[in-house]
Amino acid sequence: MNGNQSNGHDLENGDPDDPDDPDDPFDDDAHYVNGNGAGHGIADDSKPIEADEVYDTMAQLIAAGVVESVSTTMLQSPQDLKASVEQECTKEFPNGVRGAKVTSEFDMMVKSQLKAIGAERASTKRKLQESALYEPSNIKRRKLANWGMSNGFAGDSGGSILRDEPNTVVRLNFDKCLVELRNQKLIEHAEDFVGETTAQVFAALLASLCRKVYRCQHNQYTIMTEEEEETYFTGVRVTTEDIFDHLCPSVDLSAGIGTASEEDIDVRFAEKIRKYPPQVQGARLNGTLDEGDEILGSDDEDYDRTGDRPKGPYANGHGHRQGSITQNGTKLGGDYSGEGQPSRAEQIYQMRQHLLILAEAKQQFVRHCGQNEWTVDFGPLIQQIRYVELDTMIEDNFGRHGLRLTRILREKGKLDDKTLPAMALMRKPDVHVKMAEMEMAGFLEVQEVPRDNNRAANRTMFFWFFDEARTLKRVLDNAYKSMVRCLERLEVERYKKRNVFSVTDRKDVRGQEEEKLRGDVYNEYLEYLDIEKKLLSQVSRLDDLVSVFQDF
Amino acid sequence: MDDQTPSLKAQLYAACEEACSGDPDRLFTQEDLTALDVIPPKDIKKLLQLIQILTNERLFAPVHLHSGLAWRLRPEAEAAKYKQLTSHDQVLVYEIIDAAGAEGAWQQDIKRRLNVQDNALRKALKELETKRLVVQFTTVENISKKMWIKANIKPSSRATGGPWYTDQFLDEAFIEALQSVVMSFIKNRGSYLSKGERSARSVSPVLPKKGVINGAASEAAIKSKKRTADAISKDDAPVVASAKTRKTIRLPLPAGYMEYPTTEEITAGIQAAEVAKGQPLKQEHVQELIDVLVWDNRVEEIRMGNRIGYRAVRISKQNPSLYSKPGDEDFWESRSNGLTTVPCGKCPVSDLCEEGGPVWAGGCEYFDQWLA
Repeated sequence: MNGNQSNGHDLENGDPDDPDDPDDPFDDDAHYVNGNGAGHGIADDSKPIEADEVYDTMAQLIAAGVVESVSTTMLQSPQDLKASVEQECTKEFPNGVRGAKVTSEFDMMVKSQLKAIGAERASTKRKLQESALYEPSNIKRRKLANWGMSNGFAGDSGGSILRDEPNTVVRLNFDKCLVELRNQKLIEHAEDFVGETTAQVFAALLASLCRKVYRCQHNQYTIMTEEEEETYFTGVRVTTEDIFDHLCPSVDLSAGIGTASEEDIDVRFAEKIRKYPPQVQGARLNGTLDEGDEILGSDDEDYDRTGDRPKGPYANGHGHRQGSITQNGTKLGGDYSGEGQPSRAEQIYQMRQHLLILAEAKQQFVRHCGQNEWTVDFGPLIQQIRYVELDTMIEDNFGRHGLRLTRILREKGKLDDKTLPAMALMRKPDVHVKMAEMEMAGFLEVQEVPRDNNRAANRTMFFWFFDEARTLKRVLDNAYKSMVRCLERLEVERYKKRNVFSVTDRKDVRGQEEEKLRGDVYNEYLEYLDIEKKLLSQVSRLDDLVSVFQDF
Repeated sequence: MDDQTPSLKAQLYAACEEACSGDPDRLFTQEDLTALDVIPPKDIKKLLQLIQILTNERLFAPVHLHSGLAWRLRPEAEAAKYKQLTSHDQVLVYEIIDAAGAEGAWQQDIKRRLNVQDNALRKALKELETKRLVVQFTTVENISKKMWIKANIKPSSRATGGPWYTDQFLDEAFIEALQSVVMSFIKNRGSYLSKGERSARSVSPVLPKKGVINGAASEAAIKSKKRTADAISKDDAPVVASAKTRKTIRLPLPAGYMEYPTTEEITAGIQAAEVAKGQPLKQEHVQELIDVLVWDNRVEEIRMGNRIGYRAVRISKQNPSLYSKPGDEDFWESRSNGLTTVPCGKCPVSDLCEEGGPVWAGGCEYFDQWLA
């Protein structure tokens, strides 16, 4: 990773974040994960960073949860921790833990002890959050005042709290980082499936929602603070207003959605409220939307009536603006300079339209879970994203027809040789070739069912099927393997250019290769850098994929 | 046999003909025939006699049901054909082919059922063929089977494969052309075409780039820097894509849109466009096309209450032009991920690849090409 760091190259692909944005304290987390974050920022800035600034930034990161202060209990594995707490608690029961009543008392005790540990861990964070600076209302005020341009802080209370505790040990909070990385991925997908503006709205929603999301996956050893436990069981939700406050003001909300005449829009369906998360049926890709439909099928009237277009001073200009959208639906923000900014109500109305599209999407990015309340069902959504990635791979490897066949099998289960070509509208020999190809690559399995005892091939039925769990696992394995191969290749490339490195590794050459190196050697050096860039960015993309299949 | 019998016979046949005018395949049981009020009630003997005569004259064709015996009416013109038959074998063979109807009878099947010599069967079929009573045809389900059918009817759609088959072969070009028609119909009706024109005042040095998401606000300078990193990893593809972005794109319609086309509407649209002349497409055929598009990940189903409409997926990434020429990409930016860009994703010997093995990444030719 050395070369990468010194070049200041970003491993992220299509990374939409922006380190200068004050509203998103998580921006830098991606760099940290790739191991080049801190150095990156320093290298870019010519002037030295002041100690105050570091404290402030650290305070902000801790408050956001990306960095956490370390306490001794964190060095233990969760299992050990639980075991030691249990041991402690056993001492309180000299007569042993027997009987239903005592056992439940014991469990309660263990639980409360663990919770206390969780609270202790989060104490610094809590303190920083409480210092009013990081309250959302303040963020908004700051945003309005500076138009989202400044990186500075209005006060220094966050930093000062840290300065009072100079011995605070910090480390990255990987759980929280994963949450943020997952958001990035989801936003990318929303951009891909719906559109850019909608993705920005989605980003605002996730930013406001994930203040209360602490980790992607829970297990029995996860130690939760009280507030986390609360949100874990009830689920988090945000209001439309919240989302709007997190939305970057420069987003042009009027763009990105086509216009349709009002009689073609049925508000009852658009604003349909889904109180319950979709059921995950095995790993079925589709059908989640229908699932929700069925649950709410009986009460058709359950929809949000707050989504009416606001009446007001803008009602007049409305027709005109709609016309201009028709002309150029992708125009820039700031187009309204002649008319002034649209009112807040109007903007919220427009933002709601984007949210509704997200809720209506087949992937169900967002769930409209109550009057003006929104949530994201991460589990089912990520499962769908996994399948999207899988489909991408299949289509890339085996073409449209291969994708078609696997998706038929995924939907219908096991199918024999005869039914499949008829459904896929493909010729039998073509189907056989494709199926054999995909079976070789491990995407499909075949089951033989002999029709009689002698198991002759022509008396045997062949059923094709798609083993979802196994395929997902295989893809994950392949991603890891490919990553290793990229790194392996990088070693080889380094070895190939070892004579170049014998020179560039010298202290007097390092940093000023261009002046010190002979022309042909320098070109070779550049060649190597190019290859390194390619390989490392590839590793990063594979890493992204691994997180989708494993961590999110 | 008394004098009444011929007239009664004619009456019974006429009554039956009338009774089954609505449904030519209607079967008559004994009760049905009695209920026609032609023969005196309770005169079962008479009925039996009449049925016997009609069956002999081939005007009645007996059918075995699990509930007992029933008869199907055979038109007089059809019955007359039996008179042309000269040998017993011919009659038996023709009976089987006649009964098979539009599905046709397999030669092996006829042989097994009649238990006749191969020569005799072939002779009988030859004679029937020269009399233009039967013809041979092939079914798409098994091209090698010798199938026979009455000369005056067409093979069933199961045997011909419906509109998708031309001369027993799957007409892939036809299917593909129809698919693109369906696709453009869905695309056109279920999305909004944004021309991407800009008015003069909106020309700004800071142009947003499509294809990059702004997780939060970002400045163009930083953004464009990221683009370059992006472009390197994606092998030039995004460069082309970004050039296209300022052109026309399609936009999603607001939520709750009720006019996403249904199968019915798409069928009507195809009929109106007259793209499949001479091959009338029914709704179920169009449904097959749509299903395939759904499986291809080009189209998705969208339910609005009872209305099942269809719309294109990744609408803003769809090729915005309405009609795609052959060879056109469906999307102006195809999806990719780590495993599609790395050579290992497509490597046929990926499982053999290891250090010290027959192939390994250090000497991999796919890597050579990719890094070159």
